[in-house]
Amino acid sequence: MIEVEHLSKVYGSTSAIQDVTFSVKPGEIMGFLGPNGAGKTTTMRILAGYLPASGGSAKVAGYDVHEKSLEVRRWIGYLPEMPPLYPEMTVESFLYFVARIKGVPRKNRRDRVNHSLDRCQIADKRKLLIRKLSKGYRQRVGIAQAIVHDPPVIILDEPTVGLDPRQIIEVRNLIKSLAGDHTIILSTHILPEVSMTCSRVTIINNGRVVATDSPENLMAQLAGGSEYELELDKDVTAVKQILEVVPGVGQILSLPAENVGANRYLIQVKSEAGTEPGREIAAALVRSGVGIYEMRRDRVNLEQVFLELTTVEDTEQGVAV
Amino acid sequence: MLTIFSNVVAIYRKELQGYFASPLAYAIAGVFWLLAGFFFAALLLGPTGIIAQAAFNDQTGNPIPIDVPYQFQQFFLGVMGNLVLFIMPMLSMGLYSEERKRGTLELLATSPITNWAVATGKLLGSVTFFITMVLPLLLYEIYAMSAAEPPVQLGVPLVGHLGVILLAASVLSLGMFISSLTDSTLLAAVFTFGLILFLWVIDLIAQGVGGNVGEALGHLSLLKNYSTLVKGVLDSGSIILFASYIFVGIFLTAQSIETLRFQRS
Repeated sequence: MIEVEHLSKVYGSTSAIQDVTFSVKPGEIMGFLGPNGAGKTTTMRILAGYLPASGGSAKVAGYDVHEKSLEVRRWIGYLPEMPPLYPEMTVESFLYFVARIKGVPRKNRRDRVNHSLDRCQIADKRKLLIRKLSKGYRQRVGIAQAIVHDPPVIILDEPTVGLDPRQIIEVRNLIKSLAGDHTIILSTHILPEVSMTCSRVTIINNGRVVATDSPENLMAQLAGGSEYELELDKDVTAVKQILEVVPGVGQILSLPAENVGANRYLIQVKSEAGTEPGREIAAALVRSGVGIYEMRRDRVNLEQVFLELTTVEDTEQGVAV
Repeated sequence: MLTIFSNVVAIYRKELQGYFASPLAYAIAGVFWLLAGFFFAALLLGPTGIIAQAAFNDQTGNPIPIDVPYQFQQFFLGVMGNLVLFIMPMLSMGLYSEERKRGTLELLATSPITNWAVATGKLLGSVTFFITMVLPLLLYEIYAMSAAEPPVQLGVPLVGHLGVILLAASVLSLGMFISSLTDSTLLAAVFTFGLILFLWVIDLIAQGVGGNVGEALGHLSLLKNYSTLVKGVLDSGSIILFASYIFVGIFLTAQSIETLRFQRS
């Protein structure tokens, strides 16, 4: 549905994005993840036809966004970082206006406006002036204007920024409910958002794509198995002898034991890729009479993936973080 | 073609809605009505007004009578021209700068609608608002003129008022272009005012320059061409000049929005 190839954008002498390549399949929610200033907004603006690219190509539904700009604009709904709203209009008249300029035929307009009002749960606010709405409702009106012409592709730039936690959850649920009928690209610098809403993630840093995959795969790739942190009453040499024979156990390390009592040791056990030897580790320790004060498994979450990927990128380029 | 028209109408309606919901627009209209009403009364009935002059003329036995309706229209439309000069930049200043500031330009620029259609719709909206501002004054005029003896020929007032509207549309169009260059409404107003003032008095500058260049510059003067129309002369040169200002304003606006997208924003 969306194909981006070797896209680059140069502002004067600084390049905002370089060689960005990714694709989004129909019905997918693609998360575009990166720190502030990574080039997310630039990429989205190019896709939405707001900015021309300096190089490379971007296609939406088979149309080149630059050459067939007017065509592409019909196919996309776009919510910029700052929701584009006219404060002196009512919610309803604003949506009618957007439907008109997006080319919704007159006979369908009422249906489309009602549909997007319902979808965004703002039907009870339709007669209110946008000026009088809270931030969360404005964001929903912003999403409503992006879907009012029933576009196959929806581009949302930081849709949850500046909302309170409850509103964030509502907006995420709304986005999830739009998937399937629509192909969605959503950008964010908040990690949990991606794992909660997106089926695929593209991580971008300093204008380059660092990884593209499903959130689960990214975690698994990087994790290469899980880690266990143990607080025991035997030191690492004794524990090594016991656990080395347990299948699936990899490295066994001693962690600096701060804030633990005398004769207590912190030990980290890494598992081999794809194995989960937690049960066996506990059983072996208990059988050998080792006292366990604590045993904890560390899941590698996207947050770590993100940190790792972006810091690797930084050192590669020799740029200080 | 049909879609372009429907887009222009969509923008036009949005603009009008915006004016009628905006306290600023009402304030501008209020000030305009107050000033125009004051001048209307002063020019007609004041101690040095046209009626007092006519009476004086009669008393002194001047053989050439004053054409009261014609003279009054000259004075009044002259004042209207000045008011337009001061007030139109305030109507045009927000046309694009507000859109830029609010980020709604991004909505317009990512909709299947051309920059031309947006600019045309916006200009039509502001001109329509101006016409609604003029309508109440028109009632005064009709009332005053209906008392004239012999009855006033319609030709001269029609051409004169066409002049007012063309002048306002030119100022609004150029103001719209300047508004598209900045996201500060204040800056837009200041620069529009400066430009319009410059075009207003350009024939004075032209006289200083002299020669062919001076003559060419002189034709650009808003005041000179406005005066021609106000006198009731349906001069095609003047109409073409105003039409050109309007066109240039829309053209430059569309171009400036197009180039805006090539800049860092």
